[in-house]
Amino acid sequence: MNLATKKWIFLKISSIVLLPLMLWFIVNFIAIYDSSYLEVVEFFTNSKSKFLFSLFIIFAYFFSALSISEVFEDYIEDDKIKYVANRVLFISAITIPLLTIIFLFNLN
Amino acid sequence: MENKSPLSPHIQIYRWHISSLVSISHRVTGIINIIAITLICIWASLLFFGEVNYVMINFVLNSFLGKFIALGLTWSFSFQILSEIRHLIMDMGYGFELQTTRITGLVVIFGSILLTIVIYLLGKNLI
Repeated sequence: MNLATKKWIFLKISSIVLLPLMLWFIVNFIAIYDSSYLEVVEFFTNSKSKFLFSLFIIFAYFFSALSISEVFEDYIEDDKIKYVANRVLFISAITIPLLTIIFLFNLN
Repeated sequence: MENKSPLSPHIQIYRWHISSLVSISHRVTGIINIIAITLICIWASLLFFGEVNYVMINFVLNSFLGKFIALGLTWSFSFQILSEIRHLIMDMGYGFELQTTRITGLVVIFGSILLTIVIYLLGKNLI
């Protein structure tokens, strides 16, 4: 199995997992986005919300990194620029969700 | 040796179809969504630093602009959900006939508006 096929399979699996998580998140976001600090903290400290939100951002970044790297493949001609763009993309896709999860799990 | 891998032709050379509109919108909403998720991650992380840091964000989210952003994001998520389902169905080998692609494209466009209303009402506990 070549790399492009593996990427496609991971993209499809992550999109299947992401669909219900997106639906769950957006309904809950509408419920809390204009709430007070304490209400939003209460939402994010709830174990179920914390777990689902963590899962949501992990899969969202994983899916986006794979999708955006395809866009780079389609539209960036220069190999060096493409390499740097992909590195920045993959580092962001790891650090942003990781830092958010660390902050959320330390939230009281 | 210089790599001369082929690039996608520029979108302006194609004649517009419902499918191309849905495909381009799928990419655009995908980029909007990941930018929005990044901002939501910052929003959630700021909670850790206490209520003082949250006041400004709360002010923006409670304004007309905040409500517009929330509604816009709901549409962007709705579009992405329906368009991704359409992609998955096509990946299984269905819906490639010209008429079917037009119909499913329209379902994604109009369905995303309907889904936005349903999600908003569900989120606000109105249904």
